[in-house]
Amino acid sequence: MSTISIPDTQATATPRRPAARPLAVSYAGLDLKRQLRDKVGMFFIVALPAFLFFVFGMGDDESYGSANVAMYVMVSMAAYGAVTATTTVAGAAATEQTMGWGRQLALTPLSSLAFVAIKTAVAMAVAAVPIALIYAIGAATGSSGNAVDWLASAGIAWLGSALFAVYGLAICLVFKGENAASIASGLIVILSFLGNVFTPMDGLMLEIGRFTPLYGYAGLARYPISEGYLPMGAGHDPVWLLLANVCAWTVIFAALAVWGLRRRRERV
Amino acid sequence: MTTPALRATGLTKVFRGEGGETVTAVDGIDLTIGSGEIVAFLGPNGAGKTTTVDMFLGLTSPTSGTIEVYGESPHRAVVDGRVSAVMQTGGLLPDFTVRETIRAIAALHGRPERVDVVIERTGLGPLAGRLVKACSGGEQQRLKFALALVPDPDLVILDEPTTGMDVGARQQFWDTMRADAADGRTIVFATHYLAEADAFADRTVLMARGRIRADGPTAEVRAAYGSQTMTLRPPAHAVGVHGIDDAWLADVRRALAPLGITDLEVSSASLEAAFLALTGEEATR
Repeated sequence: MSTISIPDTQATATPRRPAARPLAVSYAGLDLKRQLRDKVGMFFIVALPAFLFFVFGMGDDESYGSANVAMYVMVSMAAYGAVTATTTVAGAAATEQTMGWGRQLALTPLSSLAFVAIKTAVAMAVAAVPIALIYAIGAATGSSGNAVDWLASAGIAWLGSALFAVYGLAICLVFKGENAASIASGLIVILSFLGNVFTPMDGLMLEIGRFTPLYGYAGLARYPISEGYLPMGAGHDPVWLLLANVCAWTVIFAALAVWGLRRRRERV
Repeated sequence: MTTPALRATGLTKVFRGEGGETVTAVDGIDLTIGSGEIVAFLGPNGAGKTTTVDMFLGLTSPTSGTIEVYGESPHRAVVDGRVSAVMQTGGLLPDFTVRETIRAIAALHGRPERVDVVIERTGLGPLAGRLVKACSGGEQQRLKFALALVPDPDLVILDEPTTGMDVGARQQFWDTMRADAADGRTIVFATHYLAEADAFADRTVLMARGRIRADGPTAEVRAAYGSQTMTLRPPAHAVGVHGIDDAWLADVRRALAPLGITDLEVSSASLEAAFLALTGEEATR
């Protein structure tokens, strides 16, 4: 037996403690703070979409649907920022699990479901940052539309970005390794072009773009303004098509995530 | 009679490889660890120590056999904060500070009041504001130990806890451990450093190829299998450039056999001898 003794007051004062419950909100707060501190991550989430907004049509007062072009571009860029945010956070969550932090968490009373809930909350909180910021820039630089345009588009862009949390998770579970999160956010740029988020498309590219994952989401976010009419007379998207796109990709990403998780478990 | 800290019966873990072949990592372990014991799990890499520890913690479920931690399932014991661990493969988040890491885990245990206690106990105060990625391997290991102390566990399991530490850090780590053991915690640690088992464990469990080869007070394990050794110098003509001549050694063996001497292998450290004999690793001839 050892002779050195430093009394641990916590240990001796309470022989059998009452069951403690995880303080999920405190954990989520710390995790959110850590995410917001990540300068490179936040550059892609906030600064890049703000810059693209500046390039593609900030202050363009040409009328478009119930708003103006500046507003249309603003919604697209806010949606792009929000999607990058959820992809990054969800991807990081998957990577954390494989880098061993998941094993630390497994030694706490936190359930897997609670972990997913915490990460979802953090992802949605981070997604709100680019939307708020870009809408603020838009409001200050001449984006104009009615109250419904502003509120509905922001709400749809924010809620819809959750789909890309599933996407980020799926990519990082299928392609394991540290680079998976970068692959996921990199692909978002390509999917944004194809999804008619950056420059308006027409012809064959538009026909192909309709089947890509950002198309339905961005179209829905702009629907309050455009009612489905595409810029430069490129056509019209009925709301069911946009919804079908979002539903189909939700199923695909969820299936991929489940498959990736199963494959990973088997390897253990 | 009090409930043992840990009780395993017929604990077995079989992994299935990609080609359908099976690997038995842990092969029918029976083990009871009483409250307050300090037990070393000694064995070479690949002996099944980490798999065994994972089963103790409920991170891996056994293929067969049972395991109880304080009479409960390992998962239940983890949820109740009765068992905790420093895991070899457990990771830290590089962009948390030391203090944030402890606060995060303390929040999940619902024990925010433990943050300052464990920082003080593990001497992490001066490092509290530092990012984890800026900490040395030894400092990160100390942080992992702090995380293990957060739930104020009755049983602490340490898997190769001093890996990556220099001699000074290792000494400091074990000093902290001793202080903790004095609180009456049960400590189980896996190691391949013989000296650590010798110096810190009351009881040593020797493991090799998934099985327990010896289990008893550290001194007894050493005595029973290491005993005393004899060194002799062979005559010059029997020693060539490749070492001692095999034919001459065979002569010596034959000559000694009537005296009841069964082996000529000679090792220096006593516990090391037990280790090598039991784990079947080839000693230098």
